[in-house]
Amino acid sequence: MLSVIRGGRVVDPTASRDSVGDVWIEDGRVIDPPGREPDRVIDAAGCVVMAGGVEVHSHIAGGNVITSRLLLPDLYVSEAAPDGHPFAHAGGAAAWIGSTYARMGYTTAVEPAMPPTHALGTQLELADIPLLDRGALTVMGNDDQLLQLLRDRQGGNAVRDLVALSVAQSRGLGVKCINAGGASAFKDGALRLSLDEEIPCYGLTTRQIMGSLLDAVEAIGVPHPLHVHCNNLGLPGADDSFMATLDAAEGRRIHFAHAQFYAYGVSDPANPGTGGFRSAAERIARAISDNPNATLDIGQVVFGQTVTVSLDILRQFAGRKGAKPKKWVLNAGDAEGGGVVPFLYRPRGPTSSLQWAIGLEIMLLSTDPERTILTTDHPNGGPFTQYPRIIHLLMDKSERDREIATLPAIVGERSGLPGLEREYSLSEIAQLTRSGPAKLLGLADRGHLRPGARADVAVYGDDTDRTAMFTAAKLVLKDGVPIVEDGEVVEWRAGRTLSLTVESDHAMEKRADAYLTERFGAGLDSFAVPDAAFGEGTENFEAVPCRA
Amino acid sequence: MAAWVKGGATDADTAIEAAASLLAKARAPVIAGLSADVAAIRAAYDLAGRLGASVDTAGSVATYAELGSLSRVGALTTTPAEAVGRADVILVVGDAAWQAPLLKRLIDAKPTRGRTAGSDRVLLAVGANAAASLAWPAEGGLPEAVGVLRAYARGHLAGDALPGQIAARLADAQYGVLLYDAAELGEAGIEMLQGLAMDLSEATRCFTLASGDVGQDRAVVPVSAWLTGQAPRSGFGRRVPEHDPWRFDAARQVAAGEVDAVLWLGAVPVPRPDWLSAVPSIALVADGEAKDAEVVIAVGQPGRDHGGVLWNEQRAALTFWPASAPSDLPSAAAVMAALRERVGTHQAASRSEPAC
Repeated sequence: MLSVIRGGRVVDPTASRDSVGDVWIEDGRVIDPPGREPDRVIDAAGCVVMAGGVEVHSHIAGGNVITSRLLLPDLYVSEAAPDGHPFAHAGGAAAWIGSTYARMGYTTAVEPAMPPTHALGTQLELADIPLLDRGALTVMGNDDQLLQLLRDRQGGNAVRDLVALSVAQSRGLGVKCINAGGASAFKDGALRLSLDEEIPCYGLTTRQIMGSLLDAVEAIGVPHPLHVHCNNLGLPGADDSFMATLDAAEGRRIHFAHAQFYAYGVSDPANPGTGGFRSAAERIARAISDNPNATLDIGQVVFGQTVTVSLDILRQFAGRKGAKPKKWVLNAGDAEGGGVVPFLYRPRGPTSSLQWAIGLEIMLLSTDPERTILTTDHPNGGPFTQYPRIIHLLMDKSERDREIATLPAIVGERSGLPGLEREYSLSEIAQLTRSGPAKLLGLADRGHLRPGARADVAVYGDDTDRTAMFTAAKLVLKDGVPIVEDGEVVEWRAGRTLSLTVESDHAMEKRADAYLTERFGAGLDSFAVPDAAFGEGTENFEAVPCRA
Repeated sequence: MAAWVKGGATDADTAIEAAASLLAKARAPVIAGLSADVAAIRAAYDLAGRLGASVDTAGSVATYAELGSLSRVGALTTTPAEAVGRADVILVVGDAAWQAPLLKRLIDAKPTRGRTAGSDRVLLAVGANAAASLAWPAEGGLPEAVGVLRAYARGHLAGDALPGQIAARLADAQYGVLLYDAAELGEAGIEMLQGLAMDLSEATRCFTLASGDVGQDRAVVPVSAWLTGQAPRSGFGRRVPEHDPWRFDAARQVAAGEVDAVLWLGAVPVPRPDWLSAVPSIALVADGEAKDAEVVIAVGQPGRDHGGVLWNEQRAALTFWPASAPSDLPSAAAVMAALRERVGTHQAASRSEPAC
């Protein structure tokens, strides 16, 4: 069917397009104007037309997310089921995640932390998120098998083969490392770890582990750069960890997850442990500007109750004392394990206000919004449902001023936010939420509206209340099919899970099988994610090729 | 396909129609057991959501003892493979954990990873046991005994009585593991045990580990959480998922006369509760027989007749099991899907009937 979205303000920064015009669609793809009469005309007069949003870092599936639901059954509100799906309004459920993203105009979302030991469970959960295309990043950097290879100096090719095997087995879209070596160190009694500190029993450092993974990702040709969660998240002085990690990348491609949590400079150098922190947003933003090999996502904080979920068990164990309400789960599991700590970003509290300001500051200081991507690290900084409000604050200086006026003076004393005049344009918002994340993931078919793009399109009623505008799209197309109309889901279709096509080395398969059988009493087969697990005749996965 | 209605052998279509009719007419249906592969568990929740049924599991006594404690105080846990690879001290709490296959793996091996590698593994016990190097009979009950251990660990009690010695050995451990059986220890005991692990981990590393085989409940809990946002037991009668372990206890509901139809899902064989015969019931079971319920449909056993995703106790993860002896028996998921379609037809028909 030939469709045209007619007369909307089409915003596609990848084509320097921000003008009233048409978008033509056929067979699930954007096409050039064909010179034929359309079968369907969608009137977008008075609307803003963008590519579907792309999420690079949101915890939407996996063991930690499940545990958070069990620990805090009342975190989300459930409403009566809509027609067509019994659980789409069940707060925090997979269908709620899919429908809430879709209503906001997002059409792709990536879970950033899939442990290879639990890949099948994570992939089954992702498959139950309707409407969106999904993906997951395979986590490495703490498992004994990898650390043994590195300790025994088996060489870069062995590491490459193990990484390739892990991605292939788990059917990941990319590779992530989380406080590399930190979970292992925690199990051996450590309470903190920095880039060059020795990890007990292995004689390795985070720098060495991360460096080997950076090399492996390039050797394999993974489109998404290594996704890095650094040491010392959330501590005063974490900006030094960020900078040291950037230096350690030595020009190799690197993505920094939830950078806001590292933009904390020591406030009082004479008392670094007790003097609190001040914004290091300028330092971080300048570093990204100066290093084209690096990207970051924000991890914006929003006020209110949430739950922190992370495989960084070293950090989560340290954070247990701040749990609110006072209960927490930590699993010192296979490889990373996981930690779940409820947290309240106290409305108008001094610490949370400063955190809130720092995230916005990084984005407003960014010289390249495609490389400073909007996330809340859902649910760690707050729920993804707050994106429309954050966009509003970025686009409207007076709205920011109104919010800052309600906050404690520390926002002005320890961050530069109040003095920033910048207002994001719609094109820059599209860079922050569409083209930037799509490029980062190496997904050339989305994040833009040029001919050949997947017809994932969001149409918003143009409204100066940007919160309202971006909360409920007027129309969302997924692969050319309307899935949301007037802010409500109209078609419960399943998306696909994007999975990297990686060849694994046969010799490494045999080695890994022997190792896993010895350790788990079950071999490589028990780590597999076979198509048959998703039901007969179901095509759950879509192949994404490696870089040439 | 083998199927029976009220004891008489019949064909699949008749059995599915009888089951759909029973469920569609019911005002308070229950889907229970859920001893099945992930595909069937998903189908059970989908059907429950559309019916407004409540859901309870075959192993819910143990499962809820854990979930109740988890939602109140949290947990500090490890996995079987990590315990085998790292634990230098193991405290076995109660009698049931001694029967667990995991304990044999622990006894047969020494730590191989991390700072405990190469050290000996010490076994301690709460409850009389000759195999442990230190055993405290603890005749006053397990939760109380764990509370006493915790008091020693925190320094509220002092001295060299047996529990004091056990607490001291745990404090000296580098990777302690507290092994327990959830059904035996119960909610209050688990809560106290988590507190003990958390207290000990202020100075060293100590983790809990449930040993009991609770069957496919460990698959149901994550599937329930991701599909509905809630743990079992839960009900969908008000069109929002409601998690209520007392209200949706199927045994209690049946005893109180609150239930007018039960669908029992037992594709992975599991003992059927006595209360099943007290209400009109449907059984989707592997190796089914006519007497099992009012409507019985024999389904394949996942991992035997057809492939399926099951909880793998050894791996502590969901893993895929291919068919070991493929057969023509339908999967429980396929039967549930057919039921869902048929129930939808019944519901649509009843909606179109005049109100009076």
